[in-house]
Amino acid sequence: MKRMWAICSKELQLYFFNPTSYFAIAVYVLLSSIMFYVSFVVYQPSIIDYRLILGDTIFMLLIVIPLLTMRLMSEEFRQGTDELLLTSPVTATEIVLGKYLASLGLLIVLILCNMVYPLTMSFFGKLDITLLLLSVLGVFLLGAAMMAIGLFASSLSQHQMVSAVIGFVILLTLWLMDSFASGATGSSLQQWLAPFSLSGRLNNMIKGVLHGPDLLYYITLAALFLVLSIQIVERKRWR
Amino acid sequence: MLQVQQVSKHFDRRRSVDGIDFEMERGEIVGFLGPNGAGKTTTMRMITGYLTPTSGQIWLDGLPMHEPSRKARGKIGYLPETPPLYPDMTVMSYLRFVADLRDVPARQQKLRISEMIDRLGLEGRERQVVRSLSKGYKQRLGLAQAIIHKPDLLVLDEPTSGLDPSQIVEIRQLIRELGEQHTVLLSTHILQEVSTLCSRVLIINEGKLVADGPSNQLDSSLNDKFQVALEVKSRPAVLHTLLDGWGWSETDYVLTDPDEQQEQLIRVRLQGEDGTDFRERLSLALGEARIPILELRRESMSLEDVFLKLTSESAPESATVELPSSSESSAEESSATEATPAKDELTPLTKTSNKASKKMNNKEDRA
Repeated sequence: MKRMWAICSKELQLYFFNPTSYFAIAVYVLLSSIMFYVSFVVYQPSIIDYRLILGDTIFMLLIVIPLLTMRLMSEEFRQGTDELLLTSPVTATEIVLGKYLASLGLLIVLILCNMVYPLTMSFFGKLDITLLLLSVLGVFLLGAAMMAIGLFASSLSQHQMVSAVIGFVILLTLWLMDSFASGATGSSLQQWLAPFSLSGRLNNMIKGVLHGPDLLYYITLAALFLVLSIQIVERKRWR
Repeated sequence: MLQVQQVSKHFDRRRSVDGIDFEMERGEIVGFLGPNGAGKTTTMRMITGYLTPTSGQIWLDGLPMHEPSRKARGKIGYLPETPPLYPDMTVMSYLRFVADLRDVPARQQKLRISEMIDRLGLEGRERQVVRSLSKGYKQRLGLAQAIIHKPDLLVLDEPTSGLDPSQIVEIRQLIRELGEQHTVLLSTHILQEVSTLCSRVLIINEGKLVADGPSNQLDSSLNDKFQVALEVKSRPAVLHTLLDGWGWSETDYVLTDPDEQQEQLIRVRLQGEDGTDFRERLSLALGEARIPILELRRESMSLEDVFLKLTSESAPESATVELPSSSESSAEESSATEATPAKDELTPLTKTSNKASKKMNNKEDRA
């Protein structure tokens, strides 16, 4: 447990010192502010609703999350610091979970940045707090699953850019799962694929419905990719 | 303390390490010597549990390192070829991280870290970012990382590579001090390092162990013929008539003037047929012929020669040289080197000696 926290706090420190993480967060904040400006200030909607901006900002996660996770494992392999980790009394599980916890910390920072918009909106009308909290929970679960996928992609290559691209491709595929067969809505293919869609699973929660299978989907997805990452780190010994 | 039993490692059908077998006792400083790509790093990675051997077993104090448990890994300190540092962290936060990682109890951490900073001369750099440290300081920090948890076995992979001469001397001094408390296995391709630091040397070539023994005995056991370097002032023709017919196994005359009848400086390398000392006879004979001796020196084979001899391609696979171990008494040692089986094993290797020593001659001539 102590070793896992050691790795987690090391990763948070490195995020803090690394310009890439600032850059990624800055891009996220900039683009989502532009979207907020367009949909709230330019169009001046007649209702106050966080969801006006939510859909656009979560799409940004697709780009930002691979940028934030690409460093996690790749950099260790490239710098040779994996020799330190794998020869010390840490298990692969502790390494991966420590790094994952740090990435969740960063996800919370991202979500807090996004809270500026509902805060601004609250000056102009009354927000539905329950709906807001449920949406935030949904975004957190979605982001947590995406971070796990990004971490997995990072463990595949020792080049950060390759990791980022792999992560982006996996995320985009899962994201668009329900629109692959969009030409034939209601077709059996779409019915099969839709439950696995990253974005589709969020719809219930945004509507204010807490649905068990949705929670289970995100948690399972995160767990699956964490287990895969642990396996890959463990496999390094067997090259 | 450490037992490496028939360990092999294959990478995609290529055999990197092939049936290595040795043991280490507590308190030894063992030098692991070999040309680049001989399998030193791979072997060390297997000993530290970073790689799993394809076959064979490694035991550290009775704990398996081929399937390392957490406890076994805690007993090892490892400095890879490039020190495993995070360039963005400060020296202090890096040491704190490693202390956590290596299970140093929280109460002792502060003490242990300040001990490391003291010992490795990192004072005043605690808040410096690792990226901005010089290569020598990075190497020190790498060493601090390896010894912070007081490991039983310290494994150092080319600890002095890429350092400038004064840093090399400092790091060697540190390793010598560490050798008083830890068992050390260090790899290098600098032969001088082995003779100054190590009590015992293992030579590896193309994944196989070719020699194992105390570092100061490597040369004497391979050097079965008495060899002398001589510098005289004489006419070559006179010298030839005097020395020819003594029964040399190898001679090498270097003239400063091609004219054989001209008096000149002559450098001669003489090798007797066996180990008997012929210096007395030689100097008397030269004195009688009134040839002034400018230099007369016994040539013992340098580690370079031994190394070339052992790793030259013509060395057959079976010719693993078992040198007497340092634990045996000196009487046994001398008898073991004289013993016939050892010589039989050595014979295939000595065939290459002419070639090896000639190479050395050429080098010296050029210098």
